[in-house]
Amino acid sequence: MGQVYLEREEEAACVIMCASVKYNIRGPALIPRMKSKHRIYYITLFSIVLLGLIATGMFQFWPHSIESSSDWSVEKRSVRDVPVVRLPADSPIPERGDLSCRMHTCFDVYRCGFNPKNKIKVYIYSLKKYVDDFGVPVSNTISREYNELLTAISDSDYYTDDISRACLFVPSIDVLNQNTLRIKETAQALAQLSRWDRGTNHLLFNMLPGGPPDYNTALDVPRDRALLAGGGFSTWTYRQGYDVSIPVYSPLSAEVELPEKGPGPRRYFLLSSQPAVHPEYREDLEALQARHGEAVLVLDKCTNLSEGVLSVRRRCHKHQVFDYPQVLQEATFCVVLRGARLGQAVLSDVLRAGCVPVVIADSYVLPFSEVLDWKRASVVVPEEKMSEAYSILQSIPQRQIEEMQRQARWFWEAYFQSIKAIALATLQIINDRIYPYAALSYEEWNDPPTVKRGSVSNPLFLPLIPPQSQGFTAIVLTYDRVESLFRVITEVSKVPSLSKLLVVWNNQNKNPPEDSLWPKIRVPLKVVRTAENKLSNRFFPYDEIETEAVLAIDDDIIMLTSDELQFGYEVWREFPDRLVGYPGRLHLWDHEMNKWKYESEWTNEVSMVLTGAAFYHKYFNYLYTYKMPGDIKNWVDAHMNCEDIAMNFLVANVTGKAVIKVTPRKKFKCPECTAIDGLSLDQTHMVERHFQHFRGRQWWFSACLYWIIKATQGSIY
Amino acid sequence: MQSWRGKSLWLALSASWLLILLRVFPLLRLAVPARPWASAPQGWPRWLDTELLPSFSQPGELPEDAPQPPQAPRGGGCDWGACFDASKCRTGGLKVFVHPVAGPISASHRKILASIESSRYHTASPEEACLLLFLSLEVPAGECSPVPQQWNGGRNHLVLDLHPAPCPQTFQLGRAMVAKASPTVDTFRPGFDVALPLLPEAHPLRGGAPGQLRQHSPHPGVPLLALAEERGGWRTAGTDPSTCPWDGRCEQDRGPEQTHPGGTLPNATFCLIPGHRPDALHFLQALQAGCIPVLLSPRWELPFSEVIDWTKAAIVADERLPFQVLAALQEMPLTRVLALRQQTQFLWDAYFSSVEKVMHTTLEIIQDRIFGASAHASLLWNSPPGALLALPTFSTSLSDFPFYHLQWGSRPVGRFSALIWVGAPGQPPLKLIQAVAGSQNCAQILVLWSSEKPPPSRWPETAVPLTVMDGQRKVSDRFFPHRAISTDAILSLDAHSSVTTSEVDFAFLVWQSFPERMVGFLTWNHFWDEAQGGWGYTAERANEFSMVLTSAAFYHRYYHTLFTHSLPKALRTLADETPTCVDILMNFLVAAVTKLPPIKVPYGKQHFEATPPLVPGGPEPQPTARDCINQMAAGFGYMPLVSSRLRLDPVLFKDPVSVLRKKYRSLEKP
Repeated sequence: MGQVYLEREEEAACVIMCASVKYNIRGPALIPRMKSKHRIYYITLFSIVLLGLIATGMFQFWPHSIESSSDWSVEKRSVRDVPVVRLPADSPIPERGDLSCRMHTCFDVYRCGFNPKNKIKVYIYSLKKYVDDFGVPVSNTISREYNELLTAISDSDYYTDDISRACLFVPSIDVLNQNTLRIKETAQALAQLSRWDRGTNHLLFNMLPGGPPDYNTALDVPRDRALLAGGGFSTWTYRQGYDVSIPVYSPLSAEVELPEKGPGPRRYFLLSSQPAVHPEYREDLEALQARHGEAVLVLDKCTNLSEGVLSVRRRCHKHQVFDYPQVLQEATFCVVLRGARLGQAVLSDVLRAGCVPVVIADSYVLPFSEVLDWKRASVVVPEEKMSEAYSILQSIPQRQIEEMQRQARWFWEAYFQSIKAIALATLQIINDRIYPYAALSYEEWNDPPTVKRGSVSNPLFLPLIPPQSQGFTAIVLTYDRVESLFRVITEVSKVPSLSKLLVVWNNQNKNPPEDSLWPKIRVPLKVVRTAENKLSNRFFPYDEIETEAVLAIDDDIIMLTSDELQFGYEVWREFPDRLVGYPGRLHLWDHEMNKWKYESEWTNEVSMVLTGAAFYHKYFNYLYTYKMPGDIKNWVDAHMNCEDIAMNFLVANVTGKAVIKVTPRKKFKCPECTAIDGLSLDQTHMVERHFQHFRGRQWWFSACLYWIIKATQGSIY
Repeated sequence: MQSWRGKSLWLALSASWLLILLRVFPLLRLAVPARPWASAPQGWPRWLDTELLPSFSQPGELPEDAPQPPQAPRGGGCDWGACFDASKCRTGGLKVFVHPVAGPISASHRKILASIESSRYHTASPEEACLLLFLSLEVPAGECSPVPQQWNGGRNHLVLDLHPAPCPQTFQLGRAMVAKASPTVDTFRPGFDVALPLLPEAHPLRGGAPGQLRQHSPHPGVPLLALAEERGGWRTAGTDPSTCPWDGRCEQDRGPEQTHPGGTLPNATFCLIPGHRPDALHFLQALQAGCIPVLLSPRWELPFSEVIDWTKAAIVADERLPFQVLAALQEMPLTRVLALRQQTQFLWDAYFSSVEKVMHTTLEIIQDRIFGASAHASLLWNSPPGALLALPTFSTSLSDFPFYHLQWGSRPVGRFSALIWVGAPGQPPLKLIQAVAGSQNCAQILVLWSSEKPPPSRWPETAVPLTVMDGQRKVSDRFFPHRAISTDAILSLDAHSSVTTSEVDFAFLVWQSFPERMVGFLTWNHFWDEAQGGWGYTAERANEFSMVLTSAAFYHRYYHTLFTHSLPKALRTLADETPTCVDILMNFLVAAVTKLPPIKVPYGKQHFEATPPLVPGGPEPQPTARDCINQMAAGFGYMPLVSSRLRLDPVLFKDPVSVLRKKYRSLEKP
């Protein structure tokens, strides 16, 4: 709203200021000469003009300014004002949770329907206050965390306010903590939701399940078919592939600043920080401490703290007082022991401190275990083997420990940090189940950003040597040099493994020669006419390409013999994920000029081959046309140059591998042959072909490299 | 005066306008009713009293969960922590004992037994074993195999149940794990049971048929879909929709349908497999054919789901949404199709193509559970060459292996260790040591003294540390993972090898680009000898080669570990008996892992003239050596060697430029 005011004030201020400036400049000279009856006339006129101006401004800004303020529509109300719903004592109760539920039996996918974005739609019921017959509330209306959770869902792409289009329903009845609610009445409240329908497609969030004395590991509220996102599931209550195991949120996440700690030695090897541990376990832990001395630290709650100190933030060992959670950063491994419940908030604190959790809780289903690979970030020790924990941990090499610490911190940052992170990860998991073909991959879930940045997943990763029988398709890009083109066609057609020849006719003003004029060759010859004279036409994935191998060849490369081409194809078969070409190039960082430069032949390293004659996989055509990063493709088309560099970069970028240059023997044998001049080695060759006014080629390459590197964020191999 | 009054009048007028603007405007806006909001959703309300809301847990409640004694597992349910005693395995490693089977056994059971016995985990004594295997037999309905002796309540037992149609369980499973072919989702206990694939009767014991995929991308014109039929065949549908991703035009036309009888593999991009259990048999067929399995609400657990990330190779879709699934398949980006297809082939080849692989994978999974933190990382299971060939005992860090540099964003370490094996003549290879030590990339020289003669007490002064190790007079000793080897790259040399510094430098440079392959100078080629009806090999310089001699070759140190710890003992013994066999065995091993040929680099002419006996046994291998290659092929179950036709040269090799510009000048010396 503040924004709206401001804009209008500026508008008004400007109008007045302009007016007064006008007056200042011309007023004194004009007004004295005016008669008083005229003055009133002028004032009226001015007022009308001013009014008009303001009205115009108003109409221009009014609807726009409302749109720009999203707050305008959101009501600000108090939680105390929500409508009250009275639940009769005999209102229906849902059945207990059905343990055999799976997505394909209990979940109604028809509600999710076809969705071009592959995103489920989530509806949130409006908040109500439920009371029983006597007016006693069923539970706390809503907790801060659940409100945060619903806000996060509401702000996400998943949210819809159209109940009829929703695929997933989230009740606003807060069941995060089972201890704060009355079980039977809460169940009744769930059952009367407008789309309850036995709980189908309803999602409940619960972090603290069970209650004394037996502490069930799943929410005790009868919920029929509803999905449960629960903290502290055990394998007995967790419905694999249906429920979602979520972490228990640690309120310290928001309260305390705890910057990431780098790798390096930590003071304690093993730390137990939980204040309330069953005596039996505590004995085991203390035995460990007695055996290994300083390396193990077992903390307890503090008994003699002075008033005003938060006991949650302190831990003690004998008379030593430690700050919690800071002390966790001093340890390599931290024990996460089961309490009455399996899910412990301390797991979140431990991960945050970059301490590797040692989970001692039999049958506990770790948070988001459906997608997260906990082996990379934690050690699970059976309760029985607690006494061996130390030796188990010591067998882990230091490098692996450091990786686990990094991974632990990353898990916290991505999935534990806030209620919002927890809510969105839960919805993403359910979304992945419903749209499996668009699901996030293991790497997307688990790899920390540093690994994601450095890693390359080669699209052609399977070690495979394509059969020779398949052959290759030659693509000749031509404009109008028919004579030279025919020579190339004749030459290439002699290659035994050629299976098809494709001529890309890039000249719109001239028709290709008649069929009878083309050379007669033993393989099919197709001419493709293009709509526009663009260099990227060479790399278009034409339907006519039936082989995996593509030979891109310029219409003036006539000195390559059929043996050389055949050998090039053989080489490509052994390296199908690389560019295999004849003339080579190298990119170098020029320190003096402070830019990338492009070396031509005769250097000892080669990082590019010209696509004037090169074999490559046809998949790269698809990538070039549809997946080229940035606007490299447009740049190339606009400047009619650099398509070869762009292709080299593309291939290097996706495969992380260098090119292979096949030596053209002829050049070696007769360096004075005239045919060699046709090879695009000389500096001006291409420039002359494409540009009327000459420019140094070197400049173009620098420019191309600059552009491409910028577009690919500097990743260069 | 007049002007002053006029001025003030104007001023007053402006001021009043300003006032009107400031005051009236908001009022005016409030007066206009807010327009009904059509597009943007209402959203969850921002409560005024958000800050006052109580937390879901009271401070103190969270950390101070009421303590509770440990609970016993409920209802007889078992999981790994509760029902398996891993302490025995942790001290002695995973040792597997198979309960002897009473009575006649079928051919498929014999294969299972043979494959377990060939495994490195097998033991003949039940006392030593930490895992006891029990084969559940196929017997006439109603009858069932009796509970074996030493059943011990099923503790540390694995009940193998390779074929469905099981016998009604007459004995209590107790605490035993069940490895079952395609178990139903409802009875499967994740993390405890093992889901096996449903194998056809005629599944081979070893080797196994390779995947059918011959090219990376789908062949144009291949039908989009094949549907598994009840009688075991496939029905293909769709007209050339594989062109779809290329031009974006998709036709709904299903085209003519074709049926294929049972036994043949489907030829399509996607294979739709219904969710019923008998259809699980189709799953392996699709996998082998490189046809991406699309499982429609499977009621059975996918094989080895504990470790294999099936989302990379198959699609689990909901059978209730046929049109949505079809649309999604048709619009699937080519990049994803490519990745899925390749993954099917990798998985088939790594874990499913033979009974031996299936059984070894099962044991490896249990081994991983015992290892806990030092088990195979997920990447090891799910990318080539697969977990059976990537031993976690070697290292838990992915960058130590030769296979994962790309995915992990790492590079092989920039030095190498020269490992010189001195055999029977016992001549210290002084010239060779100087040549190798001259390389800038050489980190250390290790001399493995395997001669009867004592090693000389004085060695030449070299720029790099030189260590003499006492060998065990066994040929296979040269491929032992010696602790002294400190670099990833090993340059394996014989005492009589002859190389120059720049040859070594260039070969090392090549190896850095291909760390998983062998890079060598001298080559052999294998061929199928029609006359003898077996494999043969030749050292003749031909247009093709498939092996490089380890008397001068670069390879990753991981292959030493693999050679010593994963190869069957029989093969290693064989190699010790016939020295030429070691070269073949190492080449077999590397080829079986990489599925690619080794790499040849230029080797100066002068060496050929100087040292003719570099090829043991002369150009024509002796008959014993010929036997060797056939025995190796039998041991592997197939011929892993792959031929190559090229040699990698430096960029300016023999180019007509000044010699001074070339980095590897001496390579071209006549």
